[in-house]
Amino acid sequence: MKILVAIKQVPDTATQVKIGADPRAIDTAGITWIVSPYDEFAVEEALRVKEKRGQGEVVAVSLGPDRVKEALRSCLAMGCDRAIHLNDPAWNGADTLATAKALAAVIKQEAPQLVLSGRQAIDDDMGAVTAQLAELLGWPCAYWIMEEAIDADGKTVRAARQMEGGVEVFDLPLPAILAAQKGLNEPRYPTLKGIMGAKKKEIRDVKAADLGLAAEPAQLSIVGLEAPPPRPPGRVIQGDVPTAVKELVRALREDAKAI
Amino acid sequence: MYKADLRAIRFTLYEHLKVQRLFELETYAHLSREECDAIIDQCFRFATEVTGPLNASGDRTGCRLADGRVSTPPGFKEAWKKLFELGLMSFTIPVKAGGFGGPHAIGVILAELQSGANTAFNMYPGLTHGAADLLEHCALPEDQQRFLPPMLDGRFAGTMCLTEPHAGSDVGATRTRARHLEGNVYALSGTKCFISSGDHDLSENIVHLVLARIEGAPAGTKGLSLFIVPKIWVNEDGSLGAPNDVATASIEHKLGIKASATAVLNFGENGRCRGILVGGRPHEGMRQMFRMMNGARIAVGVQGIAVASAAYLNALAYARERLQGSSVRHFKDPTAPRVPIIEHADIRRMLLEMKAKVEGMRTLAVKLALHADLAAALAATDEGQAAYHEGQVDLLTPVVKAYCADQAFRICEMAIQIYGGAGYVQDHPVEQYLRDAKIFSIYEGTNHIQALDLVARKLQSRGGENLTAFLKEIGGFVAEHGARPGLAAEVRALGEAAAALQRAAGALLEFFMGGKLDQVTMVANAFLEIVAEVTIAHLLLEAAVVAGAGHGAADDEHGQEEFDFARGKAMAAKHFVNYVLPGVHTKVSAITGGDRSALDIPDGGFSTAR
Ligand SMILES: Cc1cc2nc3c(=O)[nH]c(=O)nc-3n(C[C@H](O)[C@H](O)[C@H](O)COP(=O)(O)OP(=O)(O)OC[C@H]3O[C@@H](n4cnc5c(N)ncnc54)[C@H](O)[C@@H]3O)c2cc1C
Repeated sequence: MKILVAIKQVPDTATQVKIGADPRAIDTAGITWIVSPYDEFAVEEALRVKEKRGQGEVVAVSLGPDRVKEALRSCLAMGCDRAIHLNDPAWNGADTLATAKALAAVIKQEAPQLVLSGRQAIDDDMGAVTAQLAELLGWPCAYWIMEEAIDADGKTVRAARQMEGGVEVFDLPLPAILAAQKGLNEPRYPTLKGIMGAKKKEIRDVKAADLGLAAEPAQLSIVGLEAPPPRPPGRVIQGDVPTAVKELVRALREDAKAI
Repeated sequence: MYKADLRAIRFTLYEHLKVQRLFELETYAHLSREECDAIIDQCFRFATEVTGPLNASGDRTGCRLADGRVSTPPGFKEAWKKLFELGLMSFTIPVKAGGFGGPHAIGVILAELQSGANTAFNMYPGLTHGAADLLEHCALPEDQQRFLPPMLDGRFAGTMCLTEPHAGSDVGATRTRARHLEGNVYALSGTKCFISSGDHDLSENIVHLVLARIEGAPAGTKGLSLFIVPKIWVNEDGSLGAPNDVATASIEHKLGIKASATAVLNFGENGRCRGILVGGRPHEGMRQMFRMMNGARIAVGVQGIAVASAAYLNALAYARERLQGSSVRHFKDPTAPRVPIIEHADIRRMLLEMKAKVEGMRTLAVKLALHADLAAALAATDEGQAAYHEGQVDLLTPVVKAYCADQAFRICEMAIQIYGGAGYVQDHPVEQYLRDAKIFSIYEGTNHIQALDLVARKLQSRGGENLTAFLKEIGGFVAEHGARPGLAAEVRALGEAAAALQRAAGALLEFFMGGKLDQVTMVANAFLEIVAEVTIAHLLLEAAVVAGAGHGAADDEHGQEEFDFARGKAMAAKHFVNYVLPGVHTKVSAITGGDRSALDIPDGGFSTAR
């Protein structure tokens, strides 16, 4: 079974994001880049499907500038068989729809039976690309997946996600798209063997023209970025326990209106 | 929480010491910087996510001995399994032996990250690695086949068994005996104490490397042979046989590294302990064991750097957060705003000394490893160069072991001082760092044994050429940068300290010639410190030059972060040269002045108390 995993390179979760000289973008100087954590669940799941079935191919795909190669390389180190890098200045400033269109075009070429992604990238938290991709391809799609099982002959996938008070289960005919939620699995660390082996694997550069796409104006534009307002300081309630509890209840009720 | 400064580490590796030049040599051509960076990243991730969180809990739980078996703290087994799945322990093992053939210059950093996150845990895989490396060098091919693969994949662990109750620093006093049975197999009997990882529950089997005396062999270290003594016998086809009569009599209750089991082992209590003579060569045990000991001595120095760095970075983070007192500029105004303690000059002074020492020692350790890598890579093509690099390894090994070990403890002490009362209690990691760090100056040959090795052996080997080459390198640096704006005075101070070092070496030689051996040993530790401090001053100044300490302010080309980084390097070098390096002259004048106070005081003069 051929599986394609769409991943995004994002700033490390520990990054203190600063707004750049252009107030519509962040300052990328000194940032450590990683594979978005939800996408790592998707990569791990794809590798597990392949291992369980004893055959198949896992292809990692990402859109972005040159530095994205590093993210693809770490997917290869985890065990993906090859990678495709959608790398073209035409995609600078691509919005979610332009990204989805590029991915859809690659997916049509590659014709995988299953596409996996994270439920959202942790940089801008849009969570839109996967849904747009499904729409463009006309494929079924399930989000926030925490469990999946493909039937023996590879015709359908059963996917489940957690709901408040229960589990929601879907059967999707393949090809289909699943977006991974935390809890789907525990992503493996790339082993030294994997890291050393990764350089022998292919990362294919793909330009917009290779997919028959032309640069399109983005439909979504960023007006500006602002840091969230600083959090007001916490309040320590003094006094013996009975009075403090009374005061706490009053404050929650009247000041915070939380209860 | 475990902290490491990967930016500083990458600077040392690639910008300062340029270890990437190794990848142009045939021995390391199968590797690239990108891969090494990815491996360092994974190692850091392992350290912060897996072993780091077990550091404090392992310290509180410690190891337990029950029914003759040692159990390690919760989480250690899973971490062990994950570590060997990752393959980190095979990084520097040659490709032909099933490893990745990576350079030690990178290996030092991997070791730092692992030891810094959890010193006690890392003892188990560290010793396994060292034992595997020894077998790879010294064991017969069939024994390598039998023991190496399971030691590289974590099924077997390893130990080094030298110490006995009456044979600590004096290894030659070893009493453990070996009686020939057949072929290379001997019957062993004796007691070893203080054996790290002597027993545990992390692996299926443990391979003890035991120094023992074959019956009839001469006294002293020359009569010692080295044996592979598995806890459970290993059949020739690699399958496990019966238990091999190795009993764990007790484990120590100790100051630090509590999660590392330190065992008393009885070999052959029931006369059924068998060992395999390493390499089939009797009376070569000491030479063979030195393969492991040299590696372990560097590894202990790296443990020191690791813990010191973690203590420094934690103290730094605390100093940025802890509000106390106001700026000295407003000392008269009781309502002046409280400031983070990093604004107080005394805290800054301590932080800067810690930074300078940590980064200087790390650079020294990587440089030593780089010498070792170059010696290995050039051995076949350029004998002269290879011999030079080998000589520097010899010279610097005891320096790295002893200086980094001593300074680790002192840096931890300073970290506690920065925390104040908070540092003395277990809510913060620094008190454990201090306890863990103390062992570094004791095991693997006490620091005095290192100093003796330096003055009695390493200075004089190759006709004194090691020191000459070492001083020549510093002389070249001083000549080139003696007029460098901003650093000229410091570079000249380095030149003067190096000259003083040479005078001290001359005085040592005179003591030797005059038969004043007691005087040599009395000043050996001071001499080792002199060598260390001159080396570190050199490396810190070189780092400042490389970081471009020249440019005056942040500009478009050099962002604020880059500017701060370069200034940090320059200030670290200046601080070390102005506050630490002058101590070299104090020590040198005591040595050349011929003071004998510690020798001349009568035993009874210390105190009349009994
Ligand atoms: C936690 C821990 C783990 C250890 N792990 C191992 C291990 O895995 N394998 C192993 O084999 N050993 C191990 N050891 C033992 C360790 O290597 C010894 O403790 C060390 O070599 C010192 O020996 P000793 O304790 O007998 O001290 P001694 O040799 O009695 O030394 C006491 C003091 O006298 C000094 N001294 C001794 N001889 C001389 C001399 N000739 N000239 C001048 N000064 C001298 C020493 O420097 C020291 O200051 C471990 C020890 C500890 C505490």
